[in-house]
Formats: sequence, structure tokens, C-alpha cells
Amino acid sequence: MISLLELTKTYGRGADSVTVLDRLNFEVGAGEIFAVTGPSGAGKSTLAQCINLLERPTSGSVVVNGEDLSSLPEKRLRAARRRIGTVFQSASLLSRRTASENIALPLEYLGVTPGEIKARVGELIDRVGLGPKAHSYPFQLSGGQAQRVGIARALALRPAILLADEATSGLDPDTTSSVVELLKQLRTDLDLTVVFITHEMDTVRQIADSVARLERGQIVETGPLVDLLTDHGSPLGRALQPRRGFAAADDGAATWYVTYDSADVPGDWIQRVSADLAVPIHLLGASVETVHGINTGSATLGITARSDEAVQAVLARYGLSGTPDARREATAGGVPVSLVRSGAVPALEGAA
Amino acid sequence: MSAVVGGAIYVPRADVPVAELPALLLPAYGETVLMVGIVMAIVLVVGTPLGVLLHNVAPGGLFERPSLHAVLGWIISVGRSLPFLILMASIVPFTRFITGTNIGIAAAVVPMSLAGIAFFTRIVENALRSVPPSIVRVARASGGSNLQIMRSAQFGEAVPAVLGGLTIQVIAMIEYSAIAGTIGAGGIGYVAVTYGYQRFDNTVMLATILILVATVAFVQVAGDRLVRWVTPQKRLQRA
Ligand SMILES: Nc1ncnc2c1ncn2[C@@H]1O[C@H](COP(=O)(O)OP(=O)(O)OP(=O)(O)O)[C@@H](O)[C@H]1O
Ligand SMILES: [Mg+2]
Repeated sequence: MISLLELTKTYGRGADSVTVLDRLNFEVGAGEIFAVTGPSGAGKSTLAQCINLLERPTSGSVVVNGEDLSSLPEKRLRAARRRIGTVFQSASLLSRRTASENIALPLEYLGVTPGEIKARVGELIDRVGLGPKAHSYPFQLSGGQAQRVGIARALALRPAILLADEATSGLDPDTTSSVVELLKQLRTDLDLTVVFITHEMDTVRQIADSVARLERGQIVETGPLVDLLTDHGSPLGRALQPRRGFAAADDGAATWYVTYDSADVPGDWIQRVSADLAVPIHLLGASVETVHGINTGSATLGITARSDEAVQAVLARYGLSGTPDARREATAGGVPVSLVRSGAVPALEGAA
Repeated sequence: MSAVVGGAIYVPRADVPVAELPALLLPAYGETVLMVGIVMAIVLVVGTPLGVLLHNVAPGGLFERPSLHAVLGWIISVGRSLPFLILMASIVPFTRFITGTNIGIAAAVVPMSLAGIAFFTRIVENALRSVPPSIVRVARASGGSNLQIMRSAQFGEAVPAVLGGLTIQVIAMIEYSAIAGTIGAGGIGYVAVTYGYQRFDNTVMLATILILVATVAFVQVAGDRLVRWVTPQKRLQRA
């Protein structure tokens, strides 16, 4: 378990000083994956370095399993660092060491005997599924394999906390998914507390139990992933939704942006809404996925209805939330969506 | 050997016979190798830690000491900026204090070592600077002490660059040894100056040139091989 209490980091002194982290508070329980997102320059990497104690917080504390690590004297800091495993972007492997030798690094630093190192490294290599690559050098590994080495190295000293700063950034979607699955598996098996920092919303939806959004050094919104995704009033929830292009509605039809706003939206809701309104519904674009067993997502619909209120009322009946004129909504959401006719999602007749 | 003819110093063009060249050149070559060898040993032992220290007292290093960095950097720059001949001449009192003489191999080793240390310190510093900062962060996060980080992460990653620099350094030291030859330090440079230059002995001159070119070429090839050997990517992708 890890908690941050009023964590503040200021670089520089006096007039030139910049507060990069401003009184952050959050708590991540054992076995929980907590994602931190935010725009570039928000302070995510600074947060990572305060958590793994590479940087000292200016004030506030980082508490791991009840012990305040941030106030330790310099000498004991090194020992404290060993309780937090860090996975870095693009793995950062030593180029002249094999995968095994890279994983052995923290054990060597600790002064573990060669015999024990060999046994532990063998265990870790198998754990991350890299058996055949044990003696390969970093240049012989794919991005995903290198990242697995980085994960194994971070786990070498059996830390309670795993910290990942942009650990999947730069990997292709399939590789990202496999790394994410590995981390989820490890979390379950080792009861790890995971702080996962990324700017990729797709990855957050795949991995997180809870999410916080960091902006200009402050947490502007936080909550369980499912709650955020099913709350149409949440800017973070909206930002987490994938935004794709959608087809234009027919003349006379309004373009509706509809989000799943509850945990129990029926699977055949398009047909039901169409039947209730007694008008056909054109599906112009959609993105729906299951997160923690709950359907979440959004759809863009073309609806020719008498009144907006009627549509909204019917949508609400099925746990959905809708806004007419998706074009406006898309822009208000902060993510520009080009109005290209999408070939991938053809307009469908909703009602038979 | 020289005779006064009509008031001018006449140097006879009596080149050393080819058959006698080995007897003249081999001991001289041995002296050069000895001189460069001693100097390189001193340079490695002193210059390596000094370069690592210089890198880490710099801003962003493991133990920043900006003022120490400025002072060290300044001393090294001065050492690097003096032409070797001038450095050698200007520290004669110091050399005599250390070795009790100002001619011969021992006397040459002192200025060569000083110039060499300044040279190599910069090479090491430069090599360490090219190691990505993320590598050092990884090592710190892995619980390494400063000494461990310097050895395995910084220096370990910089080994190919250091060896590449070392090759350049050895070649520079061979050149310095020839310059030191002018103060009677012996070696191939001394032979080149006394026979080839002062006596216009073209045979000796040509022989020393060939030997120096061959030596430098050999050092370069050996250095390149070594760099290749310590760089996994180059070593394994040769086939
Ligand atoms: N050592 C430092 N000294 C001064 N300012 C710094 C330092 N490190 C970071 N900053 C500043 O802190 C702010 C946050 O940087 P940080 O690297 O934490 O952002 P980030 O959220 O990780 O961004 P990105 O998504 O681009 O990685 C930036 O404005 C940066 O300029
Ligand atoms: Mg960052």
C-alpha cells in the first residue's frame, strides 16, 4: 500500500521557483492498479521520481506500508528504494549486458551471492515469459521483450510497489496489450500495488482500477475507472472514451452523441430506443467495450425525432445519456473529431 | 664524423647501411614501447578515476560540486591547451624534482604523463556523458551505491567509447614520445631526429617513418577490434 500526503515538489528557489507538484494526496491499496494520466508537462515523471525516491519531495510525504520513506536520511534512502520497483520507458537496459545480466543488476547491487542471483533471475525470466531470450543482448530484443526484462528487473528485489512511468509508450497496440496483461497477472499473483503513469487513455482503460488526472501539478479528478467511464458529467470519463470519426447524419436527422451512463445498459438498447421513439436510428459511429465486466462506451447516432427531450428521456430509460448535435459536443469535449465519412462503421438501420 | 671544410660544418652523407638498421632501430623501438607503456599505465590509473570524478561533480552528476568541477576543468584545459613541446620545457624543474634528471626516459615520462592524463580525463568524461541519463536513473532506482553506479552503469556502458578514445590516446602518446626524443629521451623519435634530421640520413628517416606508420596502423586496427569486441551489437552482427 502506498499513500501520498500533501506531496509537493518545487524546483529552483525564490523568484525562479516552479511548483511542479502541488499538494498531491492519494492512496493505492495492495493489489490495486492506479493510473495517473495528464498532458505533457503536467508533472507525471516528477511524481514518479518522488515516489521512487530519486527526487526528494519539497514537502509532504510518501508512505509505503505505514513507513514514511520521504523523510529518511540519505543513507537509508538507498535501502528504501529497493522496496519500490520501477519500470522505465523503453526499458533502459544496459546495452552490454544480456537480458539475464540486466535482471541481475539490483541483486548484484544488494550483494546477493552468484548462486542465489542465478536462481532468482531464472525464476524472473520464466515469470515474464522470456526463457529463450535469457542470453540475448538488448539489441536482439523487441520492444515488448525489452520491456519484459525491465519488468523482471523491477521485480528482482520483491518490491511491494511497482511504479511504471510510460512503460508502454512507444510500443505497438498488441505489444502494449501483452505487457498490460503481464502487469495485471503479476499484480494478482504478487499482490503488488501498481502506480501506472501514462498519457495513453487506451492503455488506462485496459489496465486501471482507479484513475487520477494530473494537470499543472494538481489532481483535478480521480475515481474508480468504471465510475468515471459511466459518468457523462465527468471530464476525465469523457477524456477516457476513445473518440473516432463518425459518418454524417441524413438530412433532417439530428446527430446524437450517446454515452453509457450506468452499469446496466441492455445490449439491445439501439433497437429498444428505436422502438420506443418509433423512428429509425442510424448508427454513425460507436466504440463499446467491457471494462471490469461492465459495458462502457459511446455511440454517435442519427435520429429524426420530434423533440430532443423525448429522445433524452428514452435514452435515460436504458441508462444512457445523450446530447444532440454531436459535432458541438465533440468540440466541447476538447478532442476535435473530423467529420469524415467512416467506411469502417457503416450507417445501420437500427429498427427493423 | 664531421670535418671542417672551408669554415663550414660538413656532414658527410654516410647513411647507415641497411644491414645495420635493425641494430639501431630495434633497441630504440623497445624504448618507445617502454616509454609509451609506462605513460599509458600511469594515464589509465590516474585519468580513469579523474574522468569519472569530473563527470560526476558536474551539474547533473551523481555528486554535484560545481566549484570543484570548474577548478578541475580549468586545470585540465590548461594542460590540454599547451603544445607538448612547450609543456615539456616549462615543467623541467618539476621533472627534475621528481626524477632527479631532465633527460632520458624517466624525464620524458613526467611531461608525457601529465599531458596524457589531461587528454584521457577528457576522453573518459566525454564517454560518460554519452551514456543516457535514463541508465543512471535505472541504476539508482535499482538501489546502487554511487560507486556501483559509476562502475557498472556509467563506466560499463561507456567502455566502447573509452576504448575508442584510448586508441587515439596511444597514437598521440607515440607522437609525444617522438617529441620527447628531442630532449634525449631515446626511442624511435630520438633516432629519427639525430640520424634522419641532423645527419640527413634518408635511410634511417625512411625506416623510422615506416615503423611509425606501421605501429600507428597496428594500434588503430587493434583498437577497432577491441571496440568491436566489447560492443555486443558489433561483435555478434559480424557474421
Ligand atoms: N529538474 C528540473 N528542474 C526544473 N524543472 C523541471 C525539472 N524536471 C522537470 N521540470 C519541469 O516540471 C514540469 C513537469 O515535468 P515532467 O517531466 O514531470 O512532466 P510529464 O508530465 O512527465 O510530461 P511528459 O508527458 O512530457 O513526460 C515541466 O514543466 C518541466 O519543465
Ligand atoms: Mg514524463
